[in-house]
Parts: sequence; structure tokens; C-alpha cells
Amino acid sequence: MEHIKRFKLKHTLISPTTISIAGTLLTLYFLSKFLFSISPSIANIITFPITLISIIFSPSSSTISESSSTSIFLNPYVPNFRNNPGVEFYDLANYQGNKDGWQKNDRILFCVPLRDAAEHLPMFFDHLNKMSYPHNSIDLSFLVSDSSDDTMGVLLSNLQNAQSQQDKSKRFGNIEIFEKDFGQVIGQSFSDRHGFAAQGPRRKLMARARNWLGSVAIKPYHSWVYWRDVDVETIPRTIMEDLMHHDKDVIVPNVWRPLPDWLGNIQPYDLNSWKESEGGLQLADTLGEDDVIVEGYPEYATWRSHLAYMRDPNGNPEDEMELDGIGGVSILAKAKVFRTGSHFPAFSFEKHAETEAFGKLSRKMNYNVIGLPHYVIWHIYEPSKEDLKHMAWMAEEEKRKLEEEKLEEFYDKIWEIGFDDVREDWETERDSILKNIDFKGSENDIFVDWSDDPENENNDKANKANSNQNAKNGQGNGEGASGDNPGQAQYPKEVPLEFDPDKN
Amino acid sequence: MKASARLSYKLRKNLVLAILLPFTIIITIYLTFFHNRGGSSSFTLNITKNRWTRETQASSSYLPFTSKFRIPKYSYKKVQNWMFNEHIDEIISEGHIAEFDLNKLHSTKDASINKEKVLILTPLQKFHQEYWENILQLSYPRELIELGFIVPRTQTGDLALQSLEKAVEKTQTDKKNQRFAKVTILRQDSESFNKLAEKERHALNVQKERRSSMALARNELLFSTIGPHTSWVLWLDADIVETPSTLIQDMTAHDKSVLAANVFQRYYDDEKKASATRPYDFNNWQESEIGLELASKMNDDEIIVEGYSEIATYRPLMAYFHDTTKPVSEEMILDGVGGGCTLVKAEVHRDGAMFPSFPFYHLIETEGFAKMAKRLGYEIFGLPNYLVYHIEETNI
Repeated sequence: MEHIKRFKLKHTLISPTTISIAGTLLTLYFLSKFLFSISPSIANIITFPITLISIIFSPSSSTISESSSTSIFLNPYVPNFRNNPGVEFYDLANYQGNKDGWQKNDRILFCVPLRDAAEHLPMFFDHLNKMSYPHNSIDLSFLVSDSSDDTMGVLLSNLQNAQSQQDKSKRFGNIEIFEKDFGQVIGQSFSDRHGFAAQGPRRKLMARARNWLGSVAIKPYHSWVYWRDVDVETIPRTIMEDLMHHDKDVIVPNVWRPLPDWLGNIQPYDLNSWKESEGGLQLADTLGEDDVIVEGYPEYATWRSHLAYMRDPNGNPEDEMELDGIGGVSILAKAKVFRTGSHFPAFSFEKHAETEAFGKLSRKMNYNVIGLPHYVIWHIYEPSKEDLKHMAWMAEEEKRKLEEEKLEEFYDKIWEIGFDDVREDWETERDSILKNIDFKGSENDIFVDWSDDPENENNDKANKANSNQNAKNGQGNGEGASGDNPGQAQYPKEVPLEFDPDKN
Repeated sequence: MKASARLSYKLRKNLVLAILLPFTIIITIYLTFFHNRGGSSSFTLNITKNRWTRETQASSSYLPFTSKFRIPKYSYKKVQNWMFNEHIDEIISEGHIAEFDLNKLHSTKDASINKEKVLILTPLQKFHQEYWENILQLSYPRELIELGFIVPRTQTGDLALQSLEKAVEKTQTDKKNQRFAKVTILRQDSESFNKLAEKERHALNVQKERRSSMALARNELLFSTIGPHTSWVLWLDADIVETPSTLIQDMTAHDKSVLAANVFQRYYDDEKKASATRPYDFNNWQESEIGLELASKMNDDEIIVEGYSEIATYRPLMAYFHDTTKPVSEEMILDGVGGGCTLVKAEVHRDGAMFPSFPFYHLIETEGFAKMAKRLGYEIFGLPNYLVYHIEETNI
């Protein structure tokens, strides 16, 4: 009986018809998924007959369709300059930037502007070596400008280390170092750099530096350009892939920085990534042609929504947000963005300069500019002048406390040696001394004369005696006493020392 | 034993139960053990407590990935592109570190004596043999000249590229001292800058689109070729067929940031039955009050172009300032330049002056470039009496 039932169950579940239906559905699903994954080429093939027909039947639009169809199917003419020294040919269509560039040997130009950065370089090269993007496809270019420390020496020794690694796949591609001094008016300490008045000219100068680096470093064969500051403390190894696979023209991560405990743990750092607001546009209208709006200063309240504040620690790192201005800590852009002329304006472009204006300019040139609100990299913490003062004070305070403790210990010892501690003895002796003294006797009343006025002396005496009498008789008579002497109404209200309600 | 037997029997008997029971078990296990950060109220306290501590623990916990959103797994298997026929790896030498001191790079009036490199850039829509011969007759030392071309992605571009290939091959396989320092040829990616035939291309309504794509091509050419050695950039159009052989020496001697020569055209005058010359490039101009007034009334996305009666700006045009009685070296201050024959100090481009492909102060392409250079603090000059010649257009 049971046997038959089991058979029936099997039969209904695994009947040939259900299997075949499920099979077709599954194959359909996987086939469509596969087709969509390589959709661009498929789309071209599907639409080709249509374009062909349109060319044949509408001669007016032939010029445009012709060019587009040749670009898809016929390889355009490629000259051969193999044997000609000093002649290079590049088809820019091959360097548009793929979203899976690490699989397609897309070359990245890694641009790093440096100024007095010797102390940060070891950390930077540590990050660089850990990066998972194929190192051979990364071309490094540095601009060393106006440095008073040994940035150049540290850079060279680090680079030589990197390029002499045993594992050849760990070595980087082409490395170029450029030197150019622009004449630095403003100091490099945190407060110098981030003071309000210094921002406009400073940003314009930095923009010039970036442009010099970008324009000389970019080659026709670069597909992507990555701009990075050296002072990034924590960054995922896969930063390139993480940014690249979004397939956007310009993309930036969110930038925060850790803080010491006494300042509250962590803080948004890069406020240059924002989306334009009405308030920002209105403010821009009121400013002069050469003025530069800088974010994060109360002088210019723009009410823009900043990428940094959009962060949710548990948010999806893949989430995107459209931006108008961007910060320069870590920018990944398709090389075509820079090649077609977008750059870091060293003049006031729509009331902005440098990276923020780069965002605006790229938008103007119809490129998309994207920020990742929940994908955070961490800038180092550099104390400001106030922070330094506070830290100095904290150090001083710590020292002082230590000193104080030592002194206290020392004094404690002195006291122990110099004085006999009899407090415990006294505790025990006191009881035996005092046990024979009776505090409750009425003849022990102590009378103290507090008055200064000799004329009222008698009167006062009488009053005091009276009040004492009242007190002895109980609280109830207090009111009567005050009625007799309205001038000294406060006396009876005082509770006498020996007042004992139980004895009444 | 009996109970379990009963259960298995029930399971076997009841089909719905047989399917649902494992599912419910799996779901309950998942909910109780793995799904504890979904925001159910009993766990919220736990989460708010955890999220800050997690971030402060170790530096690795600063990373943006959580247990909910894990690090994406990337495949590093190489994908071969059969269309890709250029081998960049051959160019890049392994472990190569190069240093360039740009502080020592100058653009001076004695360019040839100081061995300053000049980059001649040409957007090549059509290859004219006369253009190439004119380049070859320049007397500036060829080892200091680099050439850059960008070719549109069309069939006419194919033709131009084939002719250019032949010409370049001939020169570069010649004697060593006759070769140019470097020749870079680029094929534009998608948008072609000469979609339109000669006649249409000067129509006012297509100007914006045409010049916008032209600006993109110029920028692509410029920023791909400008290198750490480049001191000067000479923009020379593909249809400039006659210049003095000392063109580069003459123009660099002025030592100006941006300097435009006056572009004329030779033609056969049917009335006089003789060949004559006429002004050709009207993009070299000084700003006028009327021009500024026009601009202030325009929408943000509109542009002013010269040479059209629809937009009468009354700007003083350099083309009309040509005066044979005056010295050739006479300079005039300009506000807009054309791309016919314009010499630019490389630092102007490096500072960021490029060819806007969008209306920049209602100007576009080369004229927009002039405005941007001015915004960066550079002055622009023209040589009204220094003539170069545009090719005669035969299809008019």
C-alpha cells in the first residue's frame, strides 16, 4: 500500500511533462540572461539589417548612417607604421575605458600631485603595492612642486623598491616624475590651507599644478585617469575595480577621516563633493567674475547636499548619487574626459575652481559625474592649529597630573612618618571619656549674648529667657510668644538645640 | 519510534506538507541565525551599539563592506579583444622611471637657438599634398618638430589617412636628419568632425554643432600629444597650403602667449581675369561694445560666430587690418582667434586653456579658447600683415 503511494507521489512530481516544461523555462531564462550580458554587440547585430534598410531607402540620411555602420562592422583603415621610427598611430576607439578594464588591459594613468609629502609617501606606496588592479597596467605620474622636504628623494627610493620587486607582475608600468614650482604663497599646515581667505587663490594654484601634470602625463593609450592624494589612510585594495565597474565618466568615493576620541571618533572630510542647490546658484549670481565659492565655510552658505553627509554605515556601497562639484582625494575618470578638454579650471569657472569646477565643467560637457555615498575611504587625521593647542594642553595636563600624583604620594609618606595617626584610638577612647557626662541637665544651658546694642540689653535678656522658657514648654506656645513681641517674631520659630518632642 | 514513523507517513501522504515543511524550516533557521540585522525592533539597539565600535576596532573595519554587502568578487581572467590590434606593452619599457624638470622648460623668442620643441597640430579632414609640401619646406630644424594629426572616423578619413601614411612613410624613412622628431596620428573614436560637405558646413545653424565636435577633436589631439618637452604648439589647419618657410622662427620671435597669423586665400578673379587674394579667416577679432551687448542678451547656450549677417557684431576683424604698407611684424591685440595658423606657448595649454565644446561666454572652439586663455591671465595677439594662405575651394 505504502509502496504504491510513494510511487504515485514520484509519478506526479517527476512526470515527463513537468520536467520538460521546467527545462524549457530554465534554458530560456539562462539564454536570455546570457544574451543580455553581451547585449551591446547583440543589439548591433540585431539592428544592423534595420540600419541597412534605412540606408537603402532614405538617401538623405545616408552620410550619417554610413559612418556609424562602418564603425561597427568594417574595421576602419589601420595604417602600418611598424617600420617607421618615431611614428605612432592610435585608434582612440580602443581607449574609451571598459567597465571591466582589468580584464581587458585598460591602462590607467595614476596621477599624484605632491608637495611636502615625504612623510606620507611610505604609507602611500604601501597602499599602492597592495592594490589588486594589475600593476603592469598602471602608469604612475607624479608632480613634485614647491617642496622643502625630501619628497623627491623619498619618492625615488620608494619607486625603485617597487620596480625592483622579484615578482614582475608586481611592478608598475611607465613611471614619470615631473618637477615644476609654481611659487607657493600659502603655507602647508592644516589651518593655513583650510583658512577661508586662502581658499580662492590656493585652489587656483593647485588647479594649475593638476593641469600641468594631467596634460603632460596623459598618452593616447590611456583608458582611465585616476587622481589620488597621498594622504589617504585607509582604502580598499580593490578601489580601482570598485570605482571602475560602475562604468561612469567621473566617479568619486565618499571621504571621511578618523578623529581622536576627544573630538568624537569620525568626521566627514571631503565637503567638495556636492549637488548644486538653488541657494548655491543664487549665491553664485551675487559674486564677482573671479570669486570662488568654497564649501564648508560659514561665509558661503550654499545649502547644498554634500556627498559626505549622505553616508549610512550600513548602506549599500554600490549606491550612486549624481554630483555637480567633486573633491580631489580620489577621482576615477575615463581618459576621454580629460582628452576632450575637461580639466581643473585655474580660473573661476561658474564661481568655482579646481576639482569642484572640474565636476561642473565635466557636467557641462555632458559627462556624468557620480559619487558613492556609502563607499568610504579614510583620509588621515591632521590636527588643526586649535587641535594642536588642545593636544599640547592635554599633554601638559597629563604631565601635571603625573607630577601631582607623585607629590601626593610623597606627602602621604611624610605625613605617615611625621605624625602619629591617633584617630582610631580617639574613636575608642572618646566613648569612655564622654560616657559620664550628662548633656541633658537644664542647668547646663549656655547663654550667649550676640547683641551689640547696650540699650536693648535688658530687653533682649528678658526675651531670650522668655524664648528659652517657651522652648522648654514646647512648640505650641511659640505663637503666643510672637504675639507678645512682634518685633522679634523670628526667635520663637528657631528650634532650640535641646528640643525634644518626646519629653513634652 | 512510533511518532517518527507517523510523521514520515504523514509527510509522504500530504504533498503540501512535504514541500512546505523543509522550506519553513530553512526560512526559520535563516531568520533566527542569519537575518539579525534586518532592522526588527529587538535588534536595533544591538546594531546602533555595534556600528561605531566596529568602525573603531581595526583599520580593516573602516572598509565600506559589511557582512550584508560583501566585497565584490572580480574575475581577473584576461579577455582578448580580436579587434584590438595595437600593442602598447611594446612601447612601455619595464621598470622605467623617467624624470622631467619642467622648471627648465621655456618658450623664448630665440626658439631655434634654444632648441625648443614645437608641436604642429592639425585636425586632418582631407589630406592636401600642398599642405604636406608646405610643412616640408619649413626651415625650423626637423628634429625639434613633432607632428600631430587627428583623423575622423569616416571613409573620407580613411582616404586622408592612407595619403598621410604614404607621405609620412616617405619622410620618416628618409635620411635621419630629415626626419621629424615624432609623428602621432590619432583616429577619432566616434563623433566625426567633418560630417558635412563644404557648402553646408558654413551654414549658421550647423555652426554650433560642427565647431563643438571640432573643439573635441582639437582637444583630443592636443592633450594626447603635448608632452614634457613641448615648448610651443602651432595650430595649423589642413588646408593651409602656403606659409613663409621661416614661419616658426618668425612667430616665436614675437614671444607672445597666443599669436595668430592672418589667413588669406588665393583665388582666380573672374572679373579681373587674374589671380588675387582675399581675407579668409574671420575668427581673429577684437571685442566690440555691440558684441558684448549681443552676448549679454543671449541665452546661456547660444553662441556668437563671426562672418554672418544675422549676427552683426561690428567687431574689428584682423582680416581687414591687412595693410601692405605697414611692417610685417606689426602686432594687434585680439580677443578671439581662429585655428588657421595660431602659435601658442605650451604653458597656456598646460594651465588648462582648451577649446570649449560648449558655449563659453557665448564663444566656442578657438574663440572660446582665446577667452579661456584671457581668463587665465594671458594676452592674445595677431599679426595682421603676416599672411598665410588657405587652399582654394574648387567646389564653390
